[in-house]
Amino acid sequence: MWLTSKIKQVFMVAKPGVVTLRYPFEPRPAPPNFRGQPYWDHHKCIGCGGCAAHCPARTILVRDLCQELRVMVYDGSRCTYCGRCADVCPEDAITMTSSYELATGSKEDINETMELFMATCQRCGRCYDHEITNAIDRMSRIGFKYDSLEMRAVVPVSSEQFDMKLYEKTEKIKRPEKAGE
Amino acid sequence: MPGIEEIKNGLKKKFKDAVVAVEEQSPTRLFVDIKSAKVREISNGIIAMGARYLVSVGYDNISRDGTLGMIHTFGFDRDGIFLALRTSVPESKPVMDSITPDIPNAGWSEREYMDLLGMKFTAHPKPKRLILADDWPEGVHPLRKDIPWNLMPPAAEDVAYQLDECPEGCSIIPVGPYHPTLHEPAHFAVFVDGETIKGSDYRGFMTHRGIEKLCQTQLTYNEIPFVAERICGICGSVHAATYAQAVELAAGIRISRRAEYIRTIMLEIERIHSHLLWLGVAGHLIGFDTVFMQSWRIREPIMWLGERITGNRKTYGMIVIGGVRRDITPEIKEDILSVIGKVEEELLTVKKAIQGDSAIHRRTKGVGYVSTEDTMLWSLVGPVARARNVDIDVRRDFPYAAYDEMKFDVPVFDSNDVWATVLVRLLETFEAIKIIRQCLDKMPNDGPILTELEAPIPPLRHGLMAVEAPRGEAVHYVITGEENAPDRWRVRAPTYPNLQGVPLMLLGNQLADVPIIIGSIDPCFSCTDRMEIVDLRSGAAKTASQRELEELSRNKR
Repeated sequence: MWLTSKIKQVFMVAKPGVVTLRYPFEPRPAPPNFRGQPYWDHHKCIGCGGCAAHCPARTILVRDLCQELRVMVYDGSRCTYCGRCADVCPEDAITMTSSYELATGSKEDINETMELFMATCQRCGRCYDHEITNAIDRMSRIGFKYDSLEMRAVVPVSSEQFDMKLYEKTEKIKRPEKAGE
Repeated sequence: MPGIEEIKNGLKKKFKDAVVAVEEQSPTRLFVDIKSAKVREISNGIIAMGARYLVSVGYDNISRDGTLGMIHTFGFDRDGIFLALRTSVPESKPVMDSITPDIPNAGWSEREYMDLLGMKFTAHPKPKRLILADDWPEGVHPLRKDIPWNLMPPAAEDVAYQLDECPEGCSIIPVGPYHPTLHEPAHFAVFVDGETIKGSDYRGFMTHRGIEKLCQTQLTYNEIPFVAERICGICGSVHAATYAQAVELAAGIRISRRAEYIRTIMLEIERIHSHLLWLGVAGHLIGFDTVFMQSWRIREPIMWLGERITGNRKTYGMIVIGGVRRDITPEIKEDILSVIGKVEEELLTVKKAIQGDSAIHRRTKGVGYVSTEDTMLWSLVGPVARARNVDIDVRRDFPYAAYDEMKFDVPVFDSNDVWATVLVRLLETFEAIKIIRQCLDKMPNDGPILTELEAPIPPLRHGLMAVEAPRGEAVHYVITGEENAPDRWRVRAPTYPNLQGVPLMLLGNQLADVPIIIGSIDPCFSCTDRMEIVDLRSGAAKTASQRELEELSRNKR
């Protein structure tokens, strides 16, 4: 009984043979809709910050340096590759690529920084509040315009209003020469 | 067999004005508000009606009416009704009766709220610290709203958990904090007389990360599914699904039928891979590495399938409130069918090998015996309960997603040991394959996969949801909040009740069977570097490496 069951097991094992992949020596491409390293297309990005508002890991930061200049930073070291940013992007500016071999000696290699020129509305420049009914804003409760790029921290505000105190507080943090580094 | 009306009337008649209000949220959910003085009596009354205890939920309601809320939840398996018993105690005097003396499984839930909310339970049999670290300061209750989410008290030294008193003439064998069976930390102190186990004590929660607090304060509704998925590395989708469905239930959101089918498929794919994983681990623990190698080989195509469907082999990230994120196209449908066909065929060979192997029989039969009565008393769940002749399965008893249209068997065995849990899990894998085939067959071809939310989620609604995870039932309780985030989100993973039953399973067994018994509940905490053997009589301590314990387990005949 014992011996026959062992002999049967030998056949069970022998049939599939060796299945180990020679992975690092032979490349193993990921399937087409794999959620790998996200890629930002700065030509398409309109700087709405929807990705930052939906990022569960808070890896996308948005900071307005002035009325016209918005900096967006993607901190790849904290990313969970859920692909939520690519889902919500209204302009399809974000794609999840199939690259997954991201091990690196420097964090900066997997970060991405974009400086976007934001046009101001010719009439009064304050009409953004009227768009508060759109889906992205309704879902969010974080003020994504005043994030601390230096501390790599999202600055949460729980109101829709511009919080002057909070803004002043983050203003005082010393900025490096080049934003996002 | 009480219906929802009978439960309502029965409670009102029996406890009269102790029952303050009864809310019937849906034909399957009953919320009962009671006075806190009668909580123990009413809980017993509900158990006597044939209910099974699920979990307790405590929450901070101080800002609204100055009370701490406590909710005991129960499930009527035969009628498919969930009952939540809501009560509250004032913040100034947060004392209520413990229900643990009658319902032992409530022990951990109550200890949890002693730690996290500062509640007190009279007549609790073991009012020790459970969740918080040993050096966490007294009197700071992190789940209260006035405590910031990122509070970090300074660490203290020379503080240790006081284990239970060891019985006369026994030695203590600490198993852990790094643990011999799986790969997360937990500490069992096993009291042995020679080789025979006479009792045990457990100190766990070493990886308590405060996810509930974090999600209540920092994240928004649709970010939480991604955190929920990371509660468990094996059954992640289950937690995301339970959470999403609890919120949908609380807010009254109806999602499309197609999305429900896709959720069902994902949950079942996850069940196949989880059971195959467990089978491998169990084989490894009893020294039968052929099973380990082969079942993991069979499992790998399932992981690749998940990668092709969702974009990642394990953290699927498929489920959000309102539906799912990716569709199942006709090509993927063909892909799924071919993969599960192959898995079924290969698993049949492994099943035959396991059933015919006398070594496995000898190592698992009669090991970890718990009587059916004790299983029900301790409200154990999942394969652990089904292997002990308790016929419960959330998919069948409280259908969610598309399970109401599925036809499947629930394997139940009455040998009450580890061998039966092996069989239950093997057979369930075949049932899961059956369910996936039915889903793909019956799935409606149109309909959105993600339903847009029309209005904000209304605050202070309660939602209770249970989902059959591979390990048992996962229960989530959600109280919706104002700022686009839940006010309270309680997670009860299936290991929570099952782990409380481990001392029962260990009793009277041999030390070499500890790994497979603890492993048999498929625990979601775990692994090991070493354990320490302390001989009380001589006082000499020696350290046994993982290898030595494994050798002990593997060389047992």
